[in-house]
Amino acid sequence: MKLGLLIDLDTCVGCHACAIACKEWNASSHVSGALSDYEPFGAEPSGVWFNRVRHYEVGDYPASKTINFPLSCMHCADADCVSVCPTGASYRRADGIVLVDQDKCMGCNLCAWACPYGARELDTVSGTMKKCTLCVDRIYDVMLAPEDRQPACVLACPTHARLFGDFDDPNSDVSRLASERAGFGLMPELGYAPVNRYLPPRQPQPVLGEDDPRALLERGLASLASPVIRR
Amino acid sequence: MKPAFSIIFFTVSSGAGLGLLALIALVDMLAHGVLPNYALWRGALLGLGLVAAGLASSVLHLANPRNAWRSMVRVRTSWLSREAVAALALFAVVAAYVLLLTGDTGGAPRVLLAWATCVLAWAVLVCTAMIYASLKPIRQWHTRWTPANYLLLGHWSGALLLAAIACAYTTHAGALLALAALLGALALAAKLAYWQAIGAGMPALTLERAIGVAEGVRGAGPLSVAHARLLDVGHSHGTFLTREFGFVVARRHARTLRVVALVLGFGVPLAWLVAGIASWPAALGAVGSCIIGLLIERWLFFAEARHTVRLYHGDPRT
Repeated sequence: MKLGLLIDLDTCVGCHACAIACKEWNASSHVSGALSDYEPFGAEPSGVWFNRVRHYEVGDYPASKTINFPLSCMHCADADCVSVCPTGASYRRADGIVLVDQDKCMGCNLCAWACPYGARELDTVSGTMKKCTLCVDRIYDVMLAPEDRQPACVLACPTHARLFGDFDDPNSDVSRLASERAGFGLMPELGYAPVNRYLPPRQPQPVLGEDDPRALLERGLASLASPVIRR
Repeated sequence: MKPAFSIIFFTVSSGAGLGLLALIALVDMLAHGVLPNYALWRGALLGLGLVAAGLASSVLHLANPRNAWRSMVRVRTSWLSREAVAALALFAVVAAYVLLLTGDTGGAPRVLLAWATCVLAWAVLVCTAMIYASLKPIRQWHTRWTPANYLLLGHWSGALLLAAIACAYTTHAGALLALAALLGALALAAKLAYWQAIGAGMPALTLERAIGVAEGVRGAGPLSVAHARLLDVGHSHGTFLTREFGFVVARRHARTLRVVALVLGFGVPLAWLVAGIASWPAALGAVGSCIIGLLIERWLFFAEARHTVRLYHGDPRT
């Protein structure tokens, strides 16, 4: 099994709901313990997050596009964060989920250095490394309704830009979508075999020039419609 | 990378100690009589003290040192684990070796322990270097010049210490001064080669590669090959990632510091060796200058290393 996430960069609107839902669920999870916040009500609040959303602009105006980019653990099949760990605290389960045993971690930071994606963050209160658990305490919880047995980030996404599934199963939704829409893993050249897949954004619609006939048509229709609308 | 003083001191101090231990064992085996016995065991104790100080400093870097004892369980995959095991074995071997040296006992056990000291000192040096060299996300470290540097810089500072010991305890230190000068020249060459290698010609990762738009976005259109820039980093204040990987040293300052590291780490001690002033106060000055130079060199080793996480925070390339 290779459990992981599929993230659609075309539909992600960058609302950070996935990151907030992740923080909410995992802050009270027994898997990693609390996700510490530093000075939460101070001048410079900071803290441990498993999932961060960043925003990029691709291309140059007018042919440019904003890409909202959520990033969390890729649950790599060949994860260096696991192999560099000297204490055995980092491990990869048979279902593909990479976890940190909080009782064994000595907080040496080496796994965070070995992760090219910045998916691991040290909790300075507990002194241990923390990371995305793929909500391992949700996805197998038989007390939850079957449709709720998914990571918190997936359930929270308002545009369904996130999907959870088994990438080893060619018939799973995530595998099918990834192959249909040219899903890609991040920085495969580093050789970590990341499992999570991103669906590429579509081409942007260029902004029309002043004299473009389609722009003239648009303005003409707007001037015809506005008296009706304003009435 | 954030230049953490605990690790900088650790690598410089234990590097010098390990170099000294390896050279003392080699001198004892291959050039017996160059140094009197009491100089050998005092030197070995100094080397062990430097390694111990370095390891103690490295424990300060841990956020949860209570679990430090667990660090020896993953020798099959982790260079840090291998380093811990080799260092522990080194302590046991050197302790036994020093006991034999103080009694001036000769014979097979001494030869065996000398070889073991030498091999284990090399092993620890290589493990320390490989911790950095094995990290693929940091191209400035993931190079063969990293282990070459750690090995040669450790032996260079160790050889200087040995030369100082020779000045203090014998009147014919010439051979050891020449050995130090040779190792100094080699270490200097390796350091310059390292800076040359990370400066140019190494393939760098780009922000476009990191977010997967280097080959353009889907379908025909203007973004067939796009370049990207950060609009918003998504967090309001610093995170673990910005604190750990966000450190930047201005290129101008890096250049100045490189010159200072070269002058203090190599220029001053090599000048002393060439001048051949075999007095131990001068030797101590040369050793002190070298250690300060290497501390600056090691600070730069961290400060100039750029992790791929920086791409996601807006760096155009690593």
